[in-house]
Amino acid sequence: MCFVWRKRWFLLLLPILLAVTLWQIRVESDLNAFFTNTDDADSKLLSGLLQSGELSRRYLLVVEAAVPDRTDLSSLASFSGKLIQQLGKLPDVEQVWPAHQPPRDWLNAVQLYAPYHARLFSLNPAQDAETLFAVDTLPRRAEGLKQALLSPQGGFIKAIAKQDPLLLSLNGFKGLQSQFQQTHDDAGALILQSRPAALDSAAHGRLQAAIRASFDSLNQTSGQAFQLSMAGVPVFSTAARNEISRDVTLVSTISSISVVLVFLLLFRSFAALHWIMLLQAAAFVVGTLATTLIFQQVHSLTLALGASLIGICVDYPLHVMVHSAKHHSSPLANVRLLGPSLFLGGLTTVIGYAAMGFTGFPGFEQIAVFALFSISASLALTRWVLPALLEKTTLRVVDLPGIACWVNFCDRRRKPLLSLIAIAGLLALLSLPQLHWMNDMQNLAMNMDALKQQDRTVRAHFSSIEPGRFVLIQADNFETALQRAEAAERRLQTLKQSGVISEYHGLFPWLSSQVLQAENARVYDAALTQSFQLAWHSAVAQAGLSTDKLGHLQPAGAQALLPEAVLETPVRHILSGQLLREQQGVALSIWLGDHDPDRLTAGLQGLKGTRYFSQKEQLNQLAGQYRDRALRMLAIGIAIMGVLIWLQQRSFSKMLLTLLPSLSAVLFIFAAWALIGEELSFLHVIGLLLSISLCVDYGIFFMENRGRNSGVTYHAIAASTLTTLASFGALSLGKTPTLPILAMSVSLGVTLGFLLCPLLIPKSARA
Amino acid sequence: MKKYPALLLWLGMSTPVFADDATLTEVLARLRQSGQASFQYQETRRLELATSPWQARGVMLTDAAGSLVKLQLQPSRIIMAISGDSLYYWDAAQNQRHSLPISYADEAAEQILIFRSILQGRTQEFQARYDLAADIQDQHWSLHMQPKPDQADENAPSIDISGDADPDKRRIFIRQPDGETTEYRIEKTTDQQATAYTIPQLLQEAGGE
Repeated sequence: MCFVWRKRWFLLLLPILLAVTLWQIRVESDLNAFFTNTDDADSKLLSGLLQSGELSRRYLLVVEAAVPDRTDLSSLASFSGKLIQQLGKLPDVEQVWPAHQPPRDWLNAVQLYAPYHARLFSLNPAQDAETLFAVDTLPRRAEGLKQALLSPQGGFIKAIAKQDPLLLSLNGFKGLQSQFQQTHDDAGALILQSRPAALDSAAHGRLQAAIRASFDSLNQTSGQAFQLSMAGVPVFSTAARNEISRDVTLVSTISSISVVLVFLLLFRSFAALHWIMLLQAAAFVVGTLATTLIFQQVHSLTLALGASLIGICVDYPLHVMVHSAKHHSSPLANVRLLGPSLFLGGLTTVIGYAAMGFTGFPGFEQIAVFALFSISASLALTRWVLPALLEKTTLRVVDLPGIACWVNFCDRRRKPLLSLIAIAGLLALLSLPQLHWMNDMQNLAMNMDALKQQDRTVRAHFSSIEPGRFVLIQADNFETALQRAEAAERRLQTLKQSGVISEYHGLFPWLSSQVLQAENARVYDAALTQSFQLAWHSAVAQAGLSTDKLGHLQPAGAQALLPEAVLETPVRHILSGQLLREQQGVALSIWLGDHDPDRLTAGLQGLKGTRYFSQKEQLNQLAGQYRDRALRMLAIGIAIMGVLIWLQQRSFSKMLLTLLPSLSAVLFIFAAWALIGEELSFLHVIGLLLSISLCVDYGIFFMENRGRNSGVTYHAIAASTLTTLASFGALSLGKTPTLPILAMSVSLGVTLGFLLCPLLIPKSARA
Repeated sequence: MKKYPALLLWLGMSTPVFADDATLTEVLARLRQSGQASFQYQETRRLELATSPWQARGVMLTDAAGSLVKLQLQPSRIIMAISGDSLYYWDAAQNQRHSLPISYADEAAEQILIFRSILQGRTQEFQARYDLAADIQDQHWSLHMQPKPDQADENAPSIDISGDADPDKRRIFIRQPDGETTEYRIEKTTDQQATAYTIPQLLQEAGGE
């Protein structure tokens, strides 16, 4: 095809491709999809919890006087009441209630248990029977029942007492009552259960704005007397989303501008620039479209990191242009000349990104696919379209100062320099055992100290149950899971008494196993002796209560309370956060208040299918897995690159020499990190993996030296190093720690690799 | 002339309506109470699950801002109050304290809300939910309040309020749908008696401040 038609087709297809991409694209901002969504069972559990966990969808709101001591308790309570009404109307709000008052449907649900009182009055029926069925306490209990019937909760108690005169079914719910003890400070403490998943930060952004708008509107009518604070997992996810959006915009913009400036500095040609930018735009669009089609969505962080790929993709046309300018030859001739080197360089870069994709970090899978298609597109466009676009453009390139000098210096002083490098390499190897690996993935999280402080202040008004740590119970079926949960709760009761844990939210008596129900029924029937019946009858009469309706205690029925029946009632909502999704079997959770993790773990020892689960620990474990895989993939990636180079050059020594600059650069960087005590994460390793895949290109170009002029080749490499530094350097401006770590690793790697090329690849080995 | 029978028939039908409206207006006027007031009350409750009536006595205080405090003195001291949009409950003997928005309170709060409407003559509050029937016979007057049939709350009680020539005395009889009844006999207290308790002081006690 002639150049004119190539150019026409390119200009015609680019807007079509752009339109298709805009039509298909769905940008994802869910952090979970990027960080934790892996195949590992525990990671899936963690991912599910972050996605839809009950506590993860909960907001803690605190309304306080704007000026302390200026507002009385009743005004605050009144304002909170109005706010509850307003917030309850928001479409994304499932329920909102005062922190000291259980939601109405929780109370109503308790009444459903009255007919089954004989089957679920205690977690330890044999142990509690002595107290619960003590004859001498019956007069006091009958009087207590009367007082309860006269209290504001009389209607509630009456419905239970008719079926359960001893109010045994309420015994198991005592813990629920203690969760809602009111203190003076919490009149304005509210709990809001939202509908969207915790990490659906876009929906939560809208909800938080709606909450604030409702508050502001009410507060205006109250003379701005109050202030509102919010906490909860969705508050963090929204803040993170905002930071990431800012990072994506900043990094993409700065990266693009930097590459443009470097290009202009090198070639001083707007004509060449606009063609190159169109090529890069096309490569970026191909990567975006392919990623969207393969993953059904593209993450915003993929786009941010993808923008840095511009600096890599631009290398291919850059090499052609530098050679064309220096040799005063046509781009077509240079594309043909450099084609094999460009192809091999592109292939090794793709291998680097593919290895990164196999580290298991879900976000990097997308980036690997993005890179594969962008780099392939850039190579293809360089090979077939670039010569057509630059046909009538005169190319000139500025001489970068020091480039020729460095090549000459390395050639002249090779021996002493190599000795120095060898000694440095040996010392670097010796320092590797001092590498310090990061154990806490929190260090990779964004700095949200202000938000964390606000979270602590708000949480001080609430129960100490925290969303991230719980006791996990797993079993093949529901009955076994419930029996295990009950065994765990018995242990937790003991641990609570010994101060290891402040409180916990279990499943009993909302759900109880058939075994426990049968044991309760047996103990109950045994306690219901003739003398006990008579004593109760007498106590009821003495309290002035109806002996006809309350004086006769019925034996435990044969009908058990089945979990399926319970989960068809509103109890389903109460327990929704504790019944976890599992691919196989059943998983239940017991939520925990303040606790000592080590003593708690020790306290749960020996319980089958029961373990302490910490989201933080799980994340750290994931980080460890990513790191190990990253190191494995680093080795595998290098090996594959070596094989590919050997296939092209058919020389083992040449292959080693090609790889040597990048490997030495990585060794020195690791050593430097070991010496300065830098905490290394899998991201550092991945950054170095990328830098190797880029530096190997430099080695290939320098070794093959297809222009037969080391100075020109090194000039072209210098130009591509500059664009890589410009684009990856922009990542260092990101607040998401992932981005600066990658920026540092890649920038250090390519800089050092670039400098080592003329030193480690001797003149004699070059073509 | 043909129009007269129809006119007479119309007058005949509408006269009782006028009469009912006038009676109701008069009875509601008797109920109306503005400003601060305090009452002594005697309460008799007949519970479905109790064999004998339960009795209590205490004082009720209202003010112009719409607060109402019911202070039970016998058999034990219990404060139940509404102020603004909040409900307070404090049972010192059982150490039970609640404070919650009225909108969030259940039927337990219903009685005291009705009381506020009655004692402060907030007729519009119960006219929306109840059908009212008033009667005046000599010195004796009464108001029967029946929940409207289309009302969502099936537990709404029916209420009878009655009085005689003494404007300071009233009898309020509340019947729950399940047959339980509560009878209040209330009487305005003298100024001297009224100074023993104040609404702010009792609200503070109920709120735990």
